[in-house]
Amino acid sequence: MTGRERLLDPTGFDERTADTTLAPRPAGLRGLTVGLVDNTKPNAQVLLSEIAGELSRRFGTRGSRMYTKGYFGTPMEDDLLKQVAEECDVVVTAVGDCGSCSAATVADGIMLERAGIPAVSVISDSFLMSARAMAAVQGFPGFEFIAVEHPVASLDAGRLRDRVLAVMPDVQRILGAEA
Amino acid sequence: MSTVADAPLADAAEIRSALEYYAGRDWTDGLPVVPVTESYLAEFLATTSRDPDEVVFGVPHLNRQCTVRLAAINAALAGCLPEYFPVVLAAWDAFADEPYPKKGIWQSTTGTAPLLVVNGPVRERIGLNSKGNVFGSGFRANATIGRAIRLTAINVFGLRPHQLDQATQGTLAKYSACIAENEEESPWEPLHVEHGLSPSDSAVTAMVVRSCLHIEARHTRLPEQLGLDLADSIRRTGALIHETSSALIVLGPEHARVFAAAGWNKDDVRRFVFEHAVNSRSELAAVGKDAVSRHTRWRLPADHPDAVPDHASRSDDPDRVPALVAPGAVQVMVAGANNAGVSTIIEAFGPRDHAVAIARVGDLDD
Repeated sequence: MTGRERLLDPTGFDERTADTTLAPRPAGLRGLTVGLVDNTKPNAQVLLSEIAGELSRRFGTRGSRMYTKGYFGTPMEDDLLKQVAEECDVVVTAVGDCGSCSAATVADGIMLERAGIPAVSVISDSFLMSARAMAAVQGFPGFEFIAVEHPVASLDAGRLRDRVLAVMPDVQRILGAEA
Repeated sequence: MSTVADAPLADAAEIRSALEYYAGRDWTDGLPVVPVTESYLAEFLATTSRDPDEVVFGVPHLNRQCTVRLAAINAALAGCLPEYFPVVLAAWDAFADEPYPKKGIWQSTTGTAPLLVVNGPVRERIGLNSKGNVFGSGFRANATIGRAIRLTAINVFGLRPHQLDQATQGTLAKYSACIAENEEESPWEPLHVEHGLSPSDSAVTAMVVRSCLHIEARHTRLPEQLGLDLADSIRRTGALIHETSSALIVLGPEHARVFAAAGWNKDDVRRFVFEHAVNSRSELAAVGKDAVSRHTRWRLPADHPDAVPDHASRSDDPDRVPALVAPGAVQVMVAGANNAGVSTIIEAFGPRDHAVAIARVGDLDD
């Protein structure tokens, strides 16, 4: 008999230091290049292009560049992150409408912020818990992202546009561009 | 009195308080766990030559790693005996070779479960069931080795339901899924020998699975009839998320002998199933799965804006759409009692061709 001992903690511990600092926000969006990170989920490109179009109309952003992730379930590859951070001023990443990709989309946003690029992660609102859990895992609890009404994949262009218009105030706020 | 005279004395309130501590921290799958302290952990670590700090499985995008020590704590929590631990470690080694778990499949709405298949002498040594009720309850080694994987997923990788695990429904296999092959009543070489290991080796094959289909065919001695029953179940359209699927056929010994008596080996079974697990273009169109999406290559209707033609549509016979990419998308093993014409098809996740994640069980030589 060994007698009384402490019960052990069976969890993994987080080695990454918490870093909840956002990238510096630009004074305004006029003339800036908007990066769009498509995670290959159906309708992601359409949704991203709509957001870029609204940013251009409302704030005079200079243009947008579309990038495609290798796999939706995991965060952006390091090379892609580096390229996007070099070529763009602000970034929108979408769409986190599944279990793994909701978490990955939030991780992308956090990685971009840490690389100095203001970023908007767009998920569908069925995956709020997964997105928040990922933010905590990445050492950034409370990271702010956009949740559009679920679903996204099965929408036609008109309904998708309604979804975008509904969240534009939040996109603007996260990018520091209050109307 | 409802006690046995020589039953040990225990402080039930203290035991319960330990169980409630774990439950209160969400360090369980919902069932009570076995309390683990350093001295009990030491018994597990003594069964392996590996460093307690060695990483056995990592999910980089979750910023989490499972070490030998964490695998042992969770195996103990799951109710494993220390002598099961080398099998648990081999299971993690096998999962390291599986493409999907490190890519987030355990977070997915699809709701897969990890399945372990154990071969070799370790089955007998630790009492793993390979015969009657092989998918059922009642066998500690099966029940707890499978559960060790689940508890590690929950505790080490934070894959809790409603949080990072977003399974829409999940599967009953998520509590525990560990079976052994009934090598003694199989007419063929066992799974691990087929994949290059020696019969005297013990090994764990790890898979990512979604569902478990029951096959009843007690009437037939004809391999073609039985093979068509299997192929018809594998091709079912409801299983198709990707362009094609993959499966593990767990033949009952009686079914394995139907094939073997007709001179069929495992490859013959595989080839027959591959050739007959086919849907017509119109059957797929009827359920809106006659094309695939451009990037993810998930099945969807041909008139969807993201649709592109599937591979079969570019073949000589575009109306014939195979549900499997190759005969190697089917694995064949034998388990269960030799008492009826009953088998099981395990639907594995993802299109694949002969890719099996298998690892030898180490530290068994004494």
